[in-house]
Amino acid sequence: MKKNKLLFVLILLYFASCSSVNHTKVAVQVPVEPVLDINQFDEIIVSDFLIKKEPEDFDLNRELVTFFTTEITQIIKGRVSRRRISLDSEELFKNASFWKELLSGSQKTVLFTGIAEYTEEIRKAVIRTKKKRSDDHYSREGAMEERRFYTLNLSLYLIDSQTGETLYAQAFKETQGYLNPKQTGPFAFFDVAEKVKGKFFNQILNRVRAQQRYLILR
Amino acid sequence: MHKKFTTYFLSFILLALILSSCSSGVNYNQIQFGILAAQKGLWDEAIFRWKKAVQTNPDSAAAHNNLAVAYENAGQWDKAKIEYERALKLAPNNSQIKANFENFKKNTEGPEKDKKDEKK
Repeated sequence: MKKNKLLFVLILLYFASCSSVNHTKVAVQVPVEPVLDINQFDEIIVSDFLIKKEPEDFDLNRELVTFFTTEITQIIKGRVSRRRISLDSEELFKNASFWKELLSGSQKTVLFTGIAEYTEEIRKAVIRTKKKRSDDHYSREGAMEERRFYTLNLSLYLIDSQTGETLYAQAFKETQGYLNPKQTGPFAFFDVAEKVKGKFFNQILNRVRAQQRYLILR
Repeated sequence: MHKKFTTYFLSFILLALILSSCSSGVNYNQIQFGILAAQKGLWDEAIFRWKKAVQTNPDSAAAHNNLAVAYENAGQWDKAKIEYERALKLAPNNSQIKANFENFKKNTEGPEKDKKDEKK
């Protein structure tokens, strides 16, 4: 009887050891390859933007230039400068010779520019409230509510000064909605610009991404 | 007498199995030590251990997979890819290795794919 017990315990031990967890998860910091490594350039020139639709209450070009100059200066190792360039057509962005001529004499320099459009929209909807009581003749079943939405359509370009070729081109469309009917365009601009900034810098900088992987025991 | 002998013999075999095939061996120790090191963020030590495990047993899918994860963490994409492919060749149905390799491919093929799309 005692021997049988020993045998039983050993069988249990065998299955327990064989069926124990075979893998474990581990956190890894995976370096992400940038689409274009901006830090390879000595200088970044921030130029004016082509504005497709100018908002009524603020200067979109000035806000974009100020916003991106500040952000790029904080993140990029190279020098950041400003150049006033009058852009009147989208076709210019496909014209490499225009940019080459404009930036002649610049070494290891990249020009930062883009096309922008900023729009405001008010969306209205009937929001259903609690069900009307039979004895209540005055309360309404539904109420009209409105939200303000601001959309920034922004195409960003990085142009090589030596060749005039576009090194990076990416279109972003960011929308932000507000309950506050008094929300203004300039304040909403910073919310949508922040969203673009996050995505843009993720693509042009060497970053790490926190992920998980399986490590296997046997 | 015969019954007694059979019981002892079976017990001995089981004990040997528990100690050898399931939870012991030099290779297993190296892999386990590497995992402990990786969990503490000591990835160089982990690579050293898993390289040893691969040298001892080149057919260990676990060692190749773990080495691939360590190379991925270090940003050594080419080495990581080779190790993942070796691990999958040895254990093609292992769901953990497959999941790791899928995530690895998403990271490495992402920027290249974007570049191709832009050219189009």
